[in-house]
Amino acid sequence: MKLFKWVVTTFLLLALQPVLAAESGTALKADAIKKEPYSDAQSVGTLGVGDKVNILKKDGGWLNVTSAKGSGWVRMLSIRKGDAKKEKGVLDSFKGLASGRAGTGKVVATTGVRGLNEEELKAASFDAKELSLAESYLTSKADAQSFANQGKLKPRSFDYLPLPQ
Amino acid sequence: MKTIYKLVLLTGLMLGCGTAVAFDFGKELNKALKENVQKKLGDNPGAAANVLSGIVGTSQEEEIAIGRQIAGNLLGASPLVKDKLLQKYINNVGRWVASQSERPDLPWHFGVIDSNDINAFAAPGGYVFVTRGLYQQLQNEAALAGVLAHEIGHVIRQHHLKILQQSSLVALGGEALSRQTGNDEKVQQLIGSGAEVVARSLDKNAEFEADSIAVVLSARAGYDPFSFPEVLQEIGHVARDDSSVELLFKTHPHPDERLDKLNVAMSDRLDNVKGQTLDRRFYRLKP
Repeated sequence: MKLFKWVVTTFLLLALQPVLAAESGTALKADAIKKEPYSDAQSVGTLGVGDKVNILKKDGGWLNVTSAKGSGWVRMLSIRKGDAKKEKGVLDSFKGLASGRAGTGKVVATTGVRGLNEEELKAASFDAKELSLAESYLTSKADAQSFANQGKLKPRSFDYLPLPQ
Repeated sequence: MKTIYKLVLLTGLMLGCGTAVAFDFGKELNKALKENVQKKLGDNPGAAANVLSGIVGTSQEEEIAIGRQIAGNLLGASPLVKDKLLQKYINNVGRWVASQSERPDLPWHFGVIDSNDINAFAAPGGYVFVTRGLYQQLQNEAALAGVLAHEIGHVIRQHHLKILQQSSLVALGGEALSRQTGNDEKVQQLIGSGAEVVARSLDKNAEFEADSIAVVLSARAGYDPFSFPEVLQEIGHVARDDSSVELLFKTHPHPDERLDKLNVAMSDRLDNVKGQTLDRRFYRLKP
């Protein structure tokens, strides 16, 4: 019985993960729909510019989608998430639901306690105390390494990208 | 010392105001530089190189001093969010990402500042700040790492420092020319258009460069590199006239344009790179 409870709880928690459940999207460019989230995976179809998709989940740079052109994995950057024409409020409330963090996003804009505009920046004066406080939180290289280990973050080598002309 | 302070102040303003208005501040910077050069040169134009050498060939110590001043000014406008765990957390993530760059030994400092705006700032020497508004848009640690990596990109490529250096060179060129021809109007024109080109085109490309550095440093640090473009997508969904993104959109190309450029730069190079998002470890702020 306890196990059952645990299983149900886990399932519910999983379901509440910040997945992109059934979010819609539009193809920004023509791209292949792959069977697996890898570039050398088999193609099962091709999306054309403007084709609508339903986004089921994400894996790295890939989105699992269903569409009229087929279902499978498409490069995340080939898809524009959400319906561009949709109201911002609608989008945000959906986002809040999907992430389990209702209210973020839109609230930021409407509470309006404090902005940071040019005039404020222009008029700003040096705050030594606040700067010392900021500097007191310094993390050493060694501590950053431990922090990475705790998160099982494995460094890898990767070259910088060529800049597009 | 006063010169440095003035420069620093102006850099701070340029940092804050970025592309769209940088031209005006560039002009101001030129004016300040011209005045200072004039003062120090006296009747000895040959001394120009010495006066400006401190700016042109900036040492790491000077770079940090400039950044420190800018950071102090920024915190004067917007203090830290008073949450020790948050500030420690962002320093842990940031330092780990910065450790993957070619300047791992700078005394890197990160912070979340108390502003509802969606924005992030970098100052020379390793000072990086994210607004609470932007932090609250983030979904996981990989997204935070990507945002910090973008700012780290500005620092390691010395984008803000270069703007300063280039402006000072333009000012010096104008000064020298003025002495030769005595035609102030022409000189002013030269300085104006010259600074305009530098401030605008360099800034835009600097943003694209920082975006591509963001995905690379994220990947190197073991994070999902696609979390960063996802942040850009999210920000791109915020209405253009929303006040929280007013300054960001004024100083940066629109996220859609940035995503286009990033898409080209990334091509299929990261298709098979998987990394961690660390949703659970991400330090969430209450809305």
